[in-house]
Amino acid sequence: MRIRSTAPVVATLLSGALLLTACGGSDDEAASSSGGGDGDVELSVSLFGTMGFEESALFEEYEKQNPGVQINYESTQGEDKYWPALQTKLASGSGLADVQGIEVARIADVVANQSDKWTDLTTLQATKDIAANYVEWKAAAATTEDGKVLGAGTDIGPMALCYRTDLLEQAGLPTDPAELAARLGSWDDYVALGEEYKAAAPEGSAWMDSAGGFYNAMVSTSEEIYYDEAGELVYDSNPAVKEAFDTAAAAGEAGLTARLEQFVDPAWDQGFASGSFATIACPSWMIGYIKGKAGDAGAGKWNVTPLPGGEGGNWGGSYLAIPESSENKEEAAKLIAWLTDGEQQATVFKNVGNFPSTTDGIANVGDATDEYFNGAPIGEIFTASADAAPTQILGQDDGVLKNTLVKALLSVEANGVPAQEAWDSAVSQVENQLG
Amino acid sequence: MTVDTMPGTPSPADAVPPAPGARPAPRRRRRRLLGESGLAPYAYVGPFFLIFLAFGLFPLVYTAWVSLHEYRLGGEMTWTGLDNYTWLFTSEQFYNALWKTITIGALSTIPQLALALGLAHLLNYRMRARNFFRISMIMPYATSVAASTLVFAQIFGRDNGFANWLLSLVGIDGPDWRNGNWTAQIAISVIVIWRWTGYNALIYLAGMQSISQDLYEAAAIDGASKWQQFVHVTLPGLRPTILFTVVVSTIGATQLFGEPLLFGGGTPNGGALGQYQTLGLYMYQQGWQFGALGRAATVAWVTFVLIVLLVVLNTALTRWRTGERSTRRAAR
Amino acid sequence: MSTTTTQLREAAIAAPVPPAARRPRRRDPGSAGWVAYLLLALTAFVFLVPFYYMVVAASRPMAEMNVSPPPLLPGGDLWSNIQKAMEQQDLVKAIVNSTIVSGAVTVSTALFCTLAGFAFAKLRFSGKNVLFGIAIGTMMIPPTLGVVPLYKLMSDLELTGRLASVILPFLVSAFGVFFMRQYLVQSLPDELIEAARIDGASSLRTFWSIVLPIARPGMAVLGMLTFMTMWNEFFWPVIALNSSNPTVQVALANLGSGYVPDQSIILAGTLVGTVPVLVVFALLGRQIVNGILAGAVKG
Repeated sequence: MRIRSTAPVVATLLSGALLLTACGGSDDEAASSSGGGDGDVELSVSLFGTMGFEESALFEEYEKQNPGVQINYESTQGEDKYWPALQTKLASGSGLADVQGIEVARIADVVANQSDKWTDLTTLQATKDIAANYVEWKAAAATTEDGKVLGAGTDIGPMALCYRTDLLEQAGLPTDPAELAARLGSWDDYVALGEEYKAAAPEGSAWMDSAGGFYNAMVSTSEEIYYDEAGELVYDSNPAVKEAFDTAAAAGEAGLTARLEQFVDPAWDQGFASGSFATIACPSWMIGYIKGKAGDAGAGKWNVTPLPGGEGGNWGGSYLAIPESSENKEEAAKLIAWLTDGEQQATVFKNVGNFPSTTDGIANVGDATDEYFNGAPIGEIFTASADAAPTQILGQDDGVLKNTLVKALLSVEANGVPAQEAWDSAVSQVENQLG
Repeated sequence: MTVDTMPGTPSPADAVPPAPGARPAPRRRRRRLLGESGLAPYAYVGPFFLIFLAFGLFPLVYTAWVSLHEYRLGGEMTWTGLDNYTWLFTSEQFYNALWKTITIGALSTIPQLALALGLAHLLNYRMRARNFFRISMIMPYATSVAASTLVFAQIFGRDNGFANWLLSLVGIDGPDWRNGNWTAQIAISVIVIWRWTGYNALIYLAGMQSISQDLYEAAAIDGASKWQQFVHVTLPGLRPTILFTVVVSTIGATQLFGEPLLFGGGTPNGGALGQYQTLGLYMYQQGWQFGALGRAATVAWVTFVLIVLLVVLNTALTRWRTGERSTRRAAR
Repeated sequence: MSTTTTQLREAAIAAPVPPAARRPRRRDPGSAGWVAYLLLALTAFVFLVPFYYMVVAASRPMAEMNVSPPPLLPGGDLWSNIQKAMEQQDLVKAIVNSTIVSGAVTVSTALFCTLAGFAFAKLRFSGKNVLFGIAIGTMMIPPTLGVVPLYKLMSDLELTGRLASVILPFLVSAFGVFFMRQYLVQSLPDELIEAARIDGASSLRTFWSIVLPIARPGMAVLGMLTFMTMWNEFFWPVIALNSSNPTVQVALANLGSGYVPDQSIILAGTLVGTVPVLVVFALLGRQIVNGILAGAVKG
């Protein structure tokens, strides 16, 4: 896919909509034009999932610190619902908020194809030098070839392994994080330990939740996944992808997985409480998810240990961006700068587990521990993972590839499709889609 | 599209306006169709068509235009001619979706209509609490797809689902409903059946109540048993209604979308094997998950042609069955 | 966009039923035996049990629903779960909005579709077949895809995020025209219109004083079906509206956002969102059923 310039049609639509739209794309029926008194401004913020700002009362805080600013916040539960709606609005150039969230899996697409629809943050006073605050790869992913910075990172997803101490104990495995880490020198060790677990595990409990989750954890540790430096598709020739796929498929075939499709199968959610699986690859944001799903009854049953071999990885994370159609760009930039500031990032981490993406933020959470997880030093573990994380090369169709391969792995573990057959079918689907 | 009465309407009031000039002279006196008043009819249909043009037809015609382009969501359109169509017909997933649409359609429609027929027969008896039973028939229809799918997704849970718990009571080890090829299709069909069976039952009931008593009496005199009466009187009498529900359910099944989408947790994969990826889901996946709107438009139009073919086929069958009835007009 | 599968199914209402005047002698089917009662009770149970399950799941903490066997009795958390759902999404506003949207769509569908249905049923004009064919043909187009152009249109009209954006595309439905035409063909005697014309009544006056009264029962059934369909419409509203000004389905789609999605809370919200329709049903169910049964034909 080549990068295209804006079509005149879209441009006309955009400018037409801008001229027409008195309230600057504000969605709120009650929203009036923001040209009120001096300093009075209404900012609309549209996010998805659990980004942690509202949960940490940061919007209220900001309004308190900046009298005259009113924030209209809304959030869509699933990113899969949020993104299509956002794209539809982008295509028509209206209905956009002043600040929109962008998931990391989409950022490459935004950078490659939509740079004209988002504001270059370096052109705004408050976010002029914002890129310098970040771990390098986080900022790089949101920067276009000609140096526009389209998004400010909210969080990253450094990896660890979360496990159920009570289940491991029943199976006679070590429950102390350090002891467990000593047994996990590599992904192969992790699988081998799974075999041990399986032999002595309580009934109805598998070593891990899903082959797809396992696979994602493994590829999250490599620099090159689906695309190479030059932006060429290499998923079918990249040994890291194939090895991860084969390892995960083998684990699925060996019955080490609970065969639960992540985020889709209600039984996956239930598994956190009922113990259908003993371990799960754990990006930092999963910490909050586990607490929510396992509930109070799960407190003290979970613990966290680094990925096998102490590898660093990254799975997920998000950005905040300002659509080109916003009429309050400077004010929106101020808000973004404040929300992604080290202090606020640390607050969000303490509340929902989203790990800071700025170097300041990371420095602020190094000593964080979590009572729920037996007092695990999550700050330390995730910081180490973030430090060791490679600079991932992202591509615009990462989403298609990830979706197809994870689906193929589910077919291996749940439907008994032979691994090679599942791989071949995934490759042909990808070729059909991207060819 | 021909304009036709409902297949085989026994009603004398027929709906096909005859072509001007083709009307036999004596009928002219009766003037069933009025309106030499020139513009008046257009004033009547005007509001409908104006709104319809703007919000119904325009988007759909535009969709046909989109299908001739490469159009990335949030991007712009590039003319590609028929490329999307060649892509579609070489896509394995399209054929999978086509096939799954047919199988889920059959799994949900056939039991649904058979059950509805049986229920209608029961509801036709004189009974106490008649209104309670009749209203309970359409309660599911009042629930949203979202609500019913949410509940059924829980019921069909693998580990702690209600369905598997029931099965375990009779000593059966419940299946992994969601991931199994046929079980997932059955689960989705059950949602559809649950929502629509009672509704169709009422329609059949309406049809049954319009079958003349004389036919039953004649059959009884010929010594037909209850069952034979049902087969030889009720079923033929219901034929037009049945054909009609088949057509309507077919269209509904072809457009099945909400149930499989929400059953898949809002994602349009339709399971690991695409075992419940219907055409509607495939279209949604192209457009809103993969961002290929041009391809999504192509899927939509191919689906449309498919439905038209099915309906035309059905209309032809009905015409052939009911002979010339649909072109006869009744004298009142 | 303005046609949904639901409406297509509803087309079945226009299923063959002869006009009242020609209704044959009804057969007495006899009274129900215990087998019939048993089967019907079983069916009613199956149709109602998911509602019960909804109540059970909505009244307990999520973790309690995740055990086997699942609990069969409601717990005590229904109220607190509903409150949590209310905190997350403005369900009251959503219900008010849904009522406005469904109400407006219902009134307009009934009115405009009756107008057009009357013309298609009883008037002769050139292009009639083509126009009617177009209207019916679009019932078969999958509605999901018109979304992008429709959204563009709405944003040009500056309506996105407002209720009007959800009301406008549904103001009329091809199904409604089809339904009303079918109904009027059967139940509106030509002689009445003839008589009115001979009396020199204007076309509009004829419509107002003769056609409308006769069309009313049909309009009522169409209206109720439209109301329910619209209440449950989710795909377009989710794109066109947002959580600051939602309809019930939009609010439900966003329940649990910003938090770990909690099944119990979502179900509690779903329950709240479904109750109004169920109330309408409990009150008007008989009329709906009878309307369907009468093929909407009553003198």
